[in-house]
Amino acid sequence: MQRQFTVTQETIDRYGAINGDRDIIHYDADYAKERGFRGTLAHGLMVQGYANVLAVDLYGTSWMDRGEIEVKFVRPVFPGDTVTVEIDDAGKLTASNQDGPVIVGTAKLRSA
Amino acid sequence: MTRPSDIKPREGEVRGTKFEEYVIHDALPELRFTITPDVVREYAEAVEADPAGYEHEGSKVALPSVLAPYLMAVLYRKYPPAQGGIMASNVFRFHGPISAETDTEIVADGRIEETYEKRGRRYVSYSARFRTTDGDLIAEAVNTSTFPS
Repeated sequence: MQRQFTVTQETIDRYGAINGDRDIIHYDADYAKERGFRGTLAHGLMVQGYANVLAVDLYGTSWMDRGEIEVKFVRPVFPGDTVTVEIDDAGKLTASNQDGPVIVGTAKLRSA
Repeated sequence: MTRPSDIKPREGEVRGTKFEEYVIHDALPELRFTITPDVVREYAEAVEADPAGYEHEGSKVALPSVLAPYLMAVLYRKYPPAQGGIMASNVFRFHGPISAETDTEIVADGRIEETYEKRGRRYVSYSARFRTTDGDLIAEAVNTSTFPS
């Protein structure tokens, strides 16, 4: 199962509003470029949130009681990226943008 | 309602914690907050989930990762953040639903698990547990982030 999400500075700002952070790496493009990135970075937990949405689509509300998600953030996500999140039948989780995987990990149900 | 910004020390507000100041196995103090239907809805909209919640045993429940915006508050209350932190990895284990219709009071705590340096980056790993006020476990998490020197 897979689903696509489009990331913009607006979606980053919206996540930042509920996240309650002021980390300028998400909002100040000049600072992010000084750090060697091509723009501001999407919050890792926002992209992980996308994976949770897909996990509920896949596992139903068992996800609320027995869901387990483990991720490594391997590449940043920037405004303008389209992120494709995929969970396969074995629970392997991959989120990718045009440059390759941005998140790798698993999204599985524990035994009841 | 407890918005994450109500309880989370934010970057630039106070001096950020230096890597050397993290104490391995240090307990992160209890943090109480209330997840309201408004928070559930706003979080859902931010991750493109159904803002109405999900049908579960006759009631509407939240996407369980609604806890995610509160995760770093468990650490930052004791170890305020430096600017430029980047997440390296995360684990979330969910153990019970959170209502999308009524307020849910959460009690969180945690501890520093390890600190290490790898390829010139400095990492801090900590665990967090989220329980109801009755002590029922709702979720556990382990986060690893890297902060600039």
